[in-house]
Amino acid sequence: MKVLVVSRSGREVVRGGLEFSDAATVAHLQEAIYRKTKKFYPSRQRLTLPVQPGSKEKPIVLSGKKSIKDYADGNNLTVVLKDLGPQVSYRTLFFFEYLGPLLIYPIFYYFPVYQYFGFKDKHEKLPVQTYAMYYWCFHYFKRILETFFVHRFSHATSPIANVFRNCAYYWTFGAYIAYHVNHPLYTPVSDLQIKIGFAFGLLCQASNFYCHILLKNLRSSDGSGGYQIPRGFLFNIVTCANYTTEIYQWLGFNIATQTVAGYVFLLVAASIMTNWALGKHRRLKKLFDGKDGRPKYPRRWVILPPFL
Amino acid sequence: MANPLSTLKRIYFSVYNWALVYGWAQVLYLAVKTIKESGIEHVYDAVEKPLFLSQTAAILEIAHSLTGLVRSPVSATLPQIASRLFLVWGILYNIPEVRTSVIVCSLVISWSITEVIRYSFFGMKELLGITPSFLTWLRYSSFLVLYPSGISSEVGLIYLALPYIKSSELFCVRMPNKWNFTFDSFYFSLLALAAYVPGSPHMYTYMLGQRKKVLSKSKRE
Repeated sequence: MKVLVVSRSGREVVRGGLEFSDAATVAHLQEAIYRKTKKFYPSRQRLTLPVQPGSKEKPIVLSGKKSIKDYADGNNLTVVLKDLGPQVSYRTLFFFEYLGPLLIYPIFYYFPVYQYFGFKDKHEKLPVQTYAMYYWCFHYFKRILETFFVHRFSHATSPIANVFRNCAYYWTFGAYIAYHVNHPLYTPVSDLQIKIGFAFGLLCQASNFYCHILLKNLRSSDGSGGYQIPRGFLFNIVTCANYTTEIYQWLGFNIATQTVAGYVFLLVAASIMTNWALGKHRRLKKLFDGKDGRPKYPRRWVILPPFL
Repeated sequence: MANPLSTLKRIYFSVYNWALVYGWAQVLYLAVKTIKESGIEHVYDAVEKPLFLSQTAAILEIAHSLTGLVRSPVSATLPQIASRLFLVWGILYNIPEVRTSVIVCSLVISWSITEVIRYSFFGMKELLGITPSFLTWLRYSSFLVLYPSGISSEVGLIYLALPYIKSSELFCVRMPNKWNFTFDSFYFSLLALAAYVPGSPHMYTYMLGQRKKVLSKSKRE
């Protein structure tokens, strides 16, 4: 069968089109496009079926695992190629964005940096400052381990611009919080509050880890499986229990350390995750509408019971 | 379209846009008049009232964007308004030493020309439902010169104000305190300057994209 590959402006990307056997998959198509164009490796390609001009419908994205035949009309198929730009694997992206906080925070703890800000550096750190450093570093170490051993990503890659944006976010907030907690003029809260904060935070981190395990088991190891209804543990009452536990984990850290910097970070992180959670909840409800034998998505909180 | 809500919206935006045309036209008129009659050091004093009124009213535009009342994305509205408010309320209001600089002239003239064009463009659209092609062309072309001149003036004025910000210690909060909070106006201003590095190309390319979209569409019609 013959496949024509055009750009979104209608120009032919591969002159003359490509020929495939009936058994060929979309992944074969992507490989062939890469071989012909030399620039667009598969993870950079987004292939869609053409939509009528003026149509408000979202274009159908071709799935790599399906046969070309499934999308074709008889023996012909036209696909629209969008260049997603240079891509970086999610594992690489996550590794670098988490490495920053993991290394930057201890710098403020161990090294006499405050003299450069005009303060007399104190060598002795308060117990809470030490616990905070261990808690923080454990958190980001856990995240890196999860990136390599737990998470199963629905998309393999992310645009390279996100590396700069995400690293700026994590690294800047890391430094901003580390500066305040390790400051020689830092004022601790009561011992009880410190204990409650860290204990609650650790409990939430453990719950968060379990949530990630449950999410991982929803997908098979080659990344297929798409969207499933999450079940078990906190997922029975809240769609994005993984975000919930992450937000509450930071709350624990802030209860123990009490800095405006930490609470600002909590607020920003929570709003970003809430945005994601609303999208995910909506997607799941739309997909699992109870029709055509599909299960109906149960009534659940989106991210932060009892508010949302 | 007898929909009362959309009529209300139209009235609201007509009033808003034309009021701001008037405000910014005042700024432009007074700036040019003062340069000719009294000299550049007096421009700030002459434009202070209409400038503060017009620029502060623009806070509403963030609400318009957030509530979806206008199509502009928050990512384009927020940096624009944030930089304007920082210059007006952060720098000009608190640091009198920079008010006599010639940069104030280039700043208010760049801003006021841009805003008169922009608000009359939207004002025409809302009130009369038409956008004369000349105004459309101005709205999507004047930024080519006025963004660089305006942005350079903003950066220049912040830079000029830095030593006074540092020595005045205005709004600075120091540790120790119960919430372990610090605020340093000098570092904050440095951060603001740094934001122009990614921010300016972002805004400029956004407008270039808008220009391409709008001017090619009107050519086709």
